[in-house]
Amino acid sequence: MRNSLGALLAIGLAGLQFIAVLAVVFSSFLTSERALLDHARELLSDVGTNTIEHSRGFLGPARGAAELSARLAQDRVIASDVPELLEQLLFQQLLLAPQFAGVYHGDEDGGFVYVMRSDGPGPFRTKIIRTDGELRTTELIWRDENYRVIERRWDPDDTYDPRTRPWYTRARDRLTTIWTDPYIFFSSQQPGITLASPVLDGPDAIRGIVGVDIEISDISDFLARLRIGATGRAMIIHENGDVIAHPNKDFLKTRDADGTLRFVNIAEFEDPIARAAFSGLMQGGRAQVEGETLSQFTYDGETYVSVVMPPISDKLPWTIAAYALESDFTQVIKENRLVNIWIAAVVAAVTGVFGLLLANFIYKPVRAFAVRSALISQGELDPGDPLPKTYQELENANQTLMQQIAARRETEMEYGRTFALSSRGMAQIDPESERFLRVNRKFCRITGYSASELEGMTFSDVAHPEDRRALIVARDTDGSTREIARDIRCVRRNGSVIWASVNAIQILNQEGKPLHLVLTMDDITQAKLSEDQIAELNKDLSNLSRDHTMGQVAAGLAHELNQPLTAITQNADSALYAVDQMAGADPDLRVMLEEIAEQSMRAGEIIKALRSFIRRDEGIRSDFDLPELVTQTTRLVVAEARAADVKISADLGALPQVNANRIQIAQVLVNLLRNAIEAVAEAGGDSRSIVVTARVEGEQVHVAVTDTGPGVDPDISLFTDFETTKASGLGLGLSICRSILASNGGRLWHEPVVEGGARFVFTIDVATSGLSS
Amino acid sequence: MEKQGDGLRMNDQRPPVYVVDDDQDIRTSLSRGLGQRGFDVECFASAAEFLDAYDGEQAACLILDYGMPEMNGLELQALLTRRDLPLAVIFITGHGGVPESVQAMKGGAVDFLEKPFRQSVLVERIEAAFDIARAHQSARGLRNDIHARIGRLTAREKEIVDHILAHPAEASSKDIANSLGISPRTIDHHRARILEKLQVRSVVELVDLVGKLKQSEPGRT
Repeated sequence: MRNSLGALLAIGLAGLQFIAVLAVVFSSFLTSERALLDHARELLSDVGTNTIEHSRGFLGPARGAAELSARLAQDRVIASDVPELLEQLLFQQLLLAPQFAGVYHGDEDGGFVYVMRSDGPGPFRTKIIRTDGELRTTELIWRDENYRVIERRWDPDDTYDPRTRPWYTRARDRLTTIWTDPYIFFSSQQPGITLASPVLDGPDAIRGIVGVDIEISDISDFLARLRIGATGRAMIIHENGDVIAHPNKDFLKTRDADGTLRFVNIAEFEDPIARAAFSGLMQGGRAQVEGETLSQFTYDGETYVSVVMPPISDKLPWTIAAYALESDFTQVIKENRLVNIWIAAVVAAVTGVFGLLLANFIYKPVRAFAVRSALISQGELDPGDPLPKTYQELENANQTLMQQIAARRETEMEYGRTFALSSRGMAQIDPESERFLRVNRKFCRITGYSASELEGMTFSDVAHPEDRRALIVARDTDGSTREIARDIRCVRRNGSVIWASVNAIQILNQEGKPLHLVLTMDDITQAKLSEDQIAELNKDLSNLSRDHTMGQVAAGLAHELNQPLTAITQNADSALYAVDQMAGADPDLRVMLEEIAEQSMRAGEIIKALRSFIRRDEGIRSDFDLPELVTQTTRLVVAEARAADVKISADLGALPQVNANRIQIAQVLVNLLRNAIEAVAEAGGDSRSIVVTARVEGEQVHVAVTDTGPGVDPDISLFTDFETTKASGLGLGLSICRSILASNGGRLWHEPVVEGGARFVFTIDVATSGLSS
Repeated sequence: MEKQGDGLRMNDQRPPVYVVDDDQDIRTSLSRGLGQRGFDVECFASAAEFLDAYDGEQAACLILDYGMPEMNGLELQALLTRRDLPLAVIFITGHGGVPESVQAMKGGAVDFLEKPFRQSVLVERIEAAFDIARAHQSARGLRNDIHARIGRLTAREKEIVDHILAHPAEASSKDIANSLGISPRTIDHHRARILEKLQVRSVVELVDLVGKLKQSEPGRT
């Protein structure tokens, strides 16, 4: 089954559009989601990095301030035992960094200067503890930004001793700047961290410690300001699991049973998502973070992405952790995707329609061409009609087609003429119904039916009942028998039976299905009859000539017969000689002896002829002189001729050498002469002669034996009557002569003679040498 | 063996006719008919019988049956040719065939007659055969004579004859003496002996004699 060009074009153009759109959408569908997820992770990672940087930037100045103050005190630039100077230095430091909650200095004697931000009555408050042995005073001073005293007060109840505080002890023990773990500042109840730097007095001793309190709730504010998707959060987890910074500062603190505030551990953190994401970090009471870790987790049916950054530094063992809802990033895409699908569908539909229109536009001329071709093939349109607007290729094809059609019509016409005028009977037969589709004049003449009568008849109606099966074979569609050629009997319209040579060919179409049978028919009744007779003759002949044993017997017999014949001839001749020597011998005696000798010779000739006839197959054709042969054969029958009072003459003229089996030709001549002698004798007329004439006709010599006998009775079939009525002769009739001549490439026929009598003519090939000259 | 004549004998006028045929009736009729006509006929039933009786010298006509048991006509003909016998052969045959007749004629037969045949034809052939046989015999006689004469020459004389035959233009005594390295006088002496022995009068006749010999050599046609 071939595909229609139109369908192919439609499917091709529309389908390809659709597939292209689908491919683009699908690919963007996949890649965009992946890209966004990657982006989310990058974003989280950036958040972590930012937070780290921010924390460093936030805490960095404190270190500078603490260490500067400590160094000033240490180098006695500022007398650390003069609280007023110290206060001024610390106040300056506090002003520099807004994240500083307070800056202070404690010494080994328990003295303490502490400048901190205050809510009132002034923005800054200083606490100075002076010790002198057992005596100690605590003074509280509130100042404005310009260091002007707003209020001054004593606090007799103060029991604060810096030397007992953890920041003091740790810095003193380590003799270096330390960071404390974050904790909740007692005074402000805000989470913070303290940095302590020792003021050294020699290699192992200290004079005091400078400390800076930094409130880290600012970091939480910073985290709260970060936008990580819609619901993303970043937080800082201390290595002990405390969550020290979180966008929601309220989550950070909790109050113990004894009323002290502390950080909330990640394991009990109120943000459940954070808990789910990061509580797993805690192992053995410490956060284990190797490096930046990006991961994905599911909480409450939602997918999240998270990142955990490694600790900021040894001194600041903080881990930044962030999570975000995956859908915050992909949601837009997912929404977008639906829109995309709709757009793709619309685009596909529009391009599909456009593709169909285009296909139709391209196909239209082709369809028109196809319709036109169909009309032409049905004969409803002339191939010469102008071609509608179409393609170059189709125009060329049309050109070829037109030529083909013209050629085909011509062929059909020729075939039709051949069919109609054929000298053989011809018929087209439908292979299914066996009905005649078409017959020619000759077919009608052979069968005796008219063309209109044959229309509607089948071949079986014409065939002889016993031969009907013959044609059925030709209908066989298995491919084995598509051609038959055989002789069958047919019954003519008038009921007479004829022999017909029937040839049937099955005409197949290109798929190998039978279109029709073409049947050719010849009336071979005449030929068949003589053929039957010839077959009969051949049977007899083959009995004579083909039988080897008989041939041998005949050859032996011929030899045996020749011996006595030779003796007879010799004795007859001897007797003749004796008679000739004798005086007064009876002349009849001489004639009789001569007859004996001649008849013996004739018997010898017969034997020779018989033998050569038996050996005809191996008979050698040779070039010989025909007049000489005629003379010799005439001599053979001269006795008979004389007895019948018949004069035999030859009028041969100049002849070329001929080529045939000499003895066989002699045999034929003897036969014809003998027949002629008998015919003349029988007639008993006055004119008693036989003339042998010959003339050259092309490559053959025609030899005629004409007698003046009664002629041949037209009712007698000369050549088919094998049984001769004659008692004498070779016993080989005209039919044998004809057969002998046929084997020598010649023919024998009878011609009537106007003046009466009979003429038998036979042909012999001229020798090749004779032809060239 | 049966004899219709008086046995093999010399006949100055007519050579004898020998008939070799295995058929008694043929032999009888031929013998009778030919005898009547004055021919000296002798018949044999087989080739072997004939060979036993024939002396090999007598010129004769041999009427030979083609198809015989044991040695057939053709074989006998070939044998006669090999022996250079002065016989002219006329084949008679009851089988008759172009190939056989061609072979027989090639072998030098006078004719090939198919049985039966008229006596007149045979007589005619016999006369022809006699001529051939006589010619054959005289050629053979001459040949034998020349051979005999040459046989009388000494080795030196033969050498001189050979030289004369090879270089007929240099036949003077001087030329021969130069080429054979002997004196012209000796050559003269030899030549006289040679001419005498060969019964010729001149060197020209000598060359002619040897030419005749070569021409009549059997097998040459």
